[in-house]
Amino acid sequence: MKKYIRYWYLLSVNSFSAMMVSRFGGFLFLLGKGLRFSFFLIFIVLITQQTKSLSGYTLNQAVFFFLTFNIIDTISQLLFREVYRFRQLVVSGNLDHVLVKPISPLFRSLLGGADPFDLLMMIPFSVVTFIIAQSFHPTVFGIISYFVLIISGLLLAGAIHIFVLGLAILTTEIDHSIMIYRDITSMGRVPIDIYREPLRGFLTFVIPVGIMFTFPAKALMGLLSVGWVLIGIVISVFFLILSIKFWKYSLIRYSSASS
Amino acid sequence: MQKYIQVVKNTFAEYTAYRLNFLLWRVRMVVRLIVIYTLWQAFFSSQKVIFGYSESQILTYILISEIVANFVYSTRTQDLGSEIQQGNLTNYLLRPLNYFGFLLSRDILDKSLNVFFSIIEVILLFIFFKPQIILVQNFGHLLLFMTAVFIGVSLYFCISLTLSLFSFWTQESWAPRFLFFIISDFLSGGLFPLDILPKAIFNILNVLPFPYLLYFPLKIYLGQLTSQNIIQGMIISLLWLFMLIFIVKKVWAKGLRLYTAEGR
Amino acid sequence: MHSIVIKNLKKYYQVYQKKPGLLGSISSLISRKYKTVKAVDDISFSINEGELVGFIGPNGAGKTTTLKCLSGLLYPNHGQISVLNFYPYDRKNEFLKNIALVMGQKNQLWWDLPPIDSFHLNKEVYEIDDEQFKKTLDELTNLLSLGNLISVPVRKLSLGERMKCELIGALLHRPKILFLDEPTIGLDVVMQKTIRDFIAAYNHRFKATIILTSHYMEDVKELCKRVIIIDKGKLLFDGNLSDIVKKYAPEKLLSITFDKFVNIRDLANIGDIKKYEYPHAIIAVKREDTSKIAALLLEKFSIDDLNIEEPDIEDIIRRVFSKK
Repeated sequence: MKKYIRYWYLLSVNSFSAMMVSRFGGFLFLLGKGLRFSFFLIFIVLITQQTKSLSGYTLNQAVFFFLTFNIIDTISQLLFREVYRFRQLVVSGNLDHVLVKPISPLFRSLLGGADPFDLLMMIPFSVVTFIIAQSFHPTVFGIISYFVLIISGLLLAGAIHIFVLGLAILTTEIDHSIMIYRDITSMGRVPIDIYREPLRGFLTFVIPVGIMFTFPAKALMGLLSVGWVLIGIVISVFFLILSIKFWKYSLIRYSSASS
Repeated sequence: MQKYIQVVKNTFAEYTAYRLNFLLWRVRMVVRLIVIYTLWQAFFSSQKVIFGYSESQILTYILISEIVANFVYSTRTQDLGSEIQQGNLTNYLLRPLNYFGFLLSRDILDKSLNVFFSIIEVILLFIFFKPQIILVQNFGHLLLFMTAVFIGVSLYFCISLTLSLFSFWTQESWAPRFLFFIISDFLSGGLFPLDILPKAIFNILNVLPFPYLLYFPLKIYLGQLTSQNIIQGMIISLLWLFMLIFIVKKVWAKGLRLYTAEGR
Repeated sequence: MHSIVIKNLKKYYQVYQKKPGLLGSISSLISRKYKTVKAVDDISFSINEGELVGFIGPNGAGKTTTLKCLSGLLYPNHGQISVLNFYPYDRKNEFLKNIALVMGQKNQLWWDLPPIDSFHLNKEVYEIDDEQFKKTLDELTNLLSLGNLISVPVRKLSLGERMKCELIGALLHRPKILFLDEPTIGLDVVMQKTIRDFIAAYNHRFKATIILTSHYMEDVKELCKRVIIIDKGKLLFDGNLSDIVKKYAPEKLLSITFDKFVNIRDLANIGDIKKYEYPHAIIAVKREDTSKIAALLLEKFSIDDLNIEEPDIEDIIRRVFSKK
C-alpha cells in the first residue's frame, strides 16, 4: 500500500515536471477551462433568473448543482489525466514496458499522470463552492454524505475510465470514447431531475450521471435520504468491480504493437 | 482537377480505415446534440416562453444550428499545424499542387461527410423527439440564410487557417485552438441564441466575427431579423471576411519565408 | 537447472485485409475479412541459467512474439511456458522482479526528465533498497562510462547515450533474466561494440540468463555461443553457432594471393571459384579436402599467400532460410 502511495507521488512529480516544460500551453488550457466554467455559469444564471426557478430549484440551488458537478469533474480530470494519453502508450508499444513491471499496469495507466493545472483550478472552485454551500445551512449528515458521495462519484468516474482503457487495448481506435463520456456527463451540470423520462431513468441507472453529480449536491441540501445515499455507494462499487473485470479480460486479448 | 479528386478519394479512405473512430466521432456529435436539446427541453417544462422564444423556436434553433455548425466547423485545416511542425509541409510545397486547393479539397470532403451525417442524425432526432419544427418562411429568407452560412463557413476557414499558421512560430498548437474553440462555441450562439444576453454585451458581440458563424444565419432562418439587421450583419461579416483573407495571405507569406529559411 | 522452458508454444494473430480503392474503403465499413497469422507455430526449447542465447530470423519470423510470451505480455494460444518456475502470463510480482525487457529504439525513460528521475521511479517499483540501488547504479554507470549524463534530460541525449541509460534503467533491479530485443539497432558501429561488451560483461558478472534478438550478425557472433533460428513461426535450428557452420556450410574458403599470373581455367578443376581478380582468388572447397587441396595449390602454383577461412555467417544463415 505504502509502495503505491510513494509510486503515485513520484509519478505525479514527474508528470508535473514534464508538464512544466510547456507551461504556456498549460496556462492557456487553464484560461480555457476557466472561461468554459464561467460561460456556463452565466448561462445558468441567465436562464434561472428569467424562469424564476429551474424546475423548482432556486438560483442558489441551481448554481450549487453546477458547482458540485464542476468539483467532481475537475478532480476526476486531475486524477485520470493519464487516460487521455493511453492510446499513445498502446500504439507506441510502450505499454509493454508498463506491463512488464511488478506494479499494477492499471494503476499506472489510470493514475500515472496527475494534472497540476487542474489542481490549481481546484482552489478557486473549492472556495466558491464552499461559500454557496454555506447558504443551505447543511446538517452534519448532509456534509458527511456530500463528501462520501463525491468519493463514490469519483469511483464511478474511475470505473468508466477503466472501461475506456480496456476498450483502447482491444481496439486502439479510440480517440473519442473518453470524450463521449465527458459529453454525457455534461448533462449532470444541472440536476438530472429536470430532464424528462426516459432520459432521467437512463441517467440514474444506465450511465449513472445522476448518482455521480446530482446525489452529492442533493445530500448537502438535505434533499437525499440515507437509503439513496447507500444505493449510490453500492452502484458505484458495483460499476468499479465490473470495469476491473473488463480490464483483465482485455489484457488477455492484448496483441502488442508489432516488432 | 484529377489530382484534387484523388485527394478527396484518399481522405475518404483514411476515414474508413478508422471506421470505429469515425463512428464514434458521429456518436459524439449525436450525444452533444441530445445534451443541448434535452437541456432546453427541460427548461421549457415549466415555462412557455423564455427570453421571448417559444419552445419550438428554440428547438428549431438548436437542430438547424447543429447542421450549420457541422458545415462551418468541420475542417482539416488544423492538420496544417502539425504538418508545419513536423516539416511535412515541405512535401506539399515540392509538388505541383496548389496548397490551398489541396486544403479546400480536403475540407470539402470533410464538410460534406459531416453535413451528410448530421442531417441524418437531426432527422433521427426529429423522429424520436417529435418537436414542433419551424420551417423557413420564404424563398428569399432561404437564399439569405444560405448566403450567411456560406460567409460563416469562409470566415471559420480563414480563422482556423490563421490558428494553424501560428505553428510557424510556436510549438503550441492544441492549447490556443482549445481556448479559441471555447470562446467561439459560446460567442457564436451554439449553446443559446445570443440575444438573451444583456443588450450592452450583445451589441459589442455583434461587432465581432463570432455571431456570424451560427447565430446570424439562424436568426435569418427563423425570420426574426429586419431587413436593416440583415444588411448590417452582412456588411460586418463581409468586412471581417476580407480582413481575415488579407491576414491569412500576409501571415502565410511571412511564415513561409521563416519556414524555408530554416531549411526544412 | 533450466531457467526457461517452452513446449509447443503457439501464438496466432487476426489481421484484416483491405481491398484497395474507393469501393474497397466503403465495403470495409460493412464487413472485413480476417486472416490468421501464425506468428509462433509450435516452438519448443529450454535454456539454462547463465546462458547467453541468440534468436535470429528474418522480420516477422516470430522472435519478438516469443520474447513477449516469455515476459508475460502476450497470452499464448497453446503450449506450456515456464520461466524461473513461473507461468509468465500470471504476471506475479515475484516473477516480474526477476526479469527485464529492453527493446531497441523504444524508451521506457521519461522524455523530458533526466534518466535519474526514471531510475528513482524504478527503484520504487522494484522495491530496491537505498544501498543496493546506489551500489548497482554506480557499478552500471561505470561499466558504461556515463558519468554525469544521467542528470541530463533524455531528449538531449544522443541515441547511443539514451540506449545506455535504457539499459541501466532496466538492470537496476539485477534481474536474473534479461530479454533484449534488437538492442543495437540504429546505433553506430562504435556504440554497437560498447553495448555488446556491456552485455557480455553483465552476463559474466551477474550470471544472468540473456536472450538476445538481433539482425546484426556481429552481435550474435560476438556474444552467443548458442543460437536459435526461427522463421515463419517455426524453429529451424537450436544449437551452437559452430555447429551451424558445420551443418550448413560443408565447405571452407581458400583465399589465395598468386605470385605469378594464373589462368582461371587452370583453377577450375580445383574447386568452386567464388572470386577471381588477379592476383587474388577465393575458392570454395569441401571441408575434408581442405588441406589436401591447399597442399596441391602450393605445389602447382607460385603462391604468395594462402589463407583458410570459414564462410561468412550471414551467407550461412541466409542458406538456412532459403532451404526451408
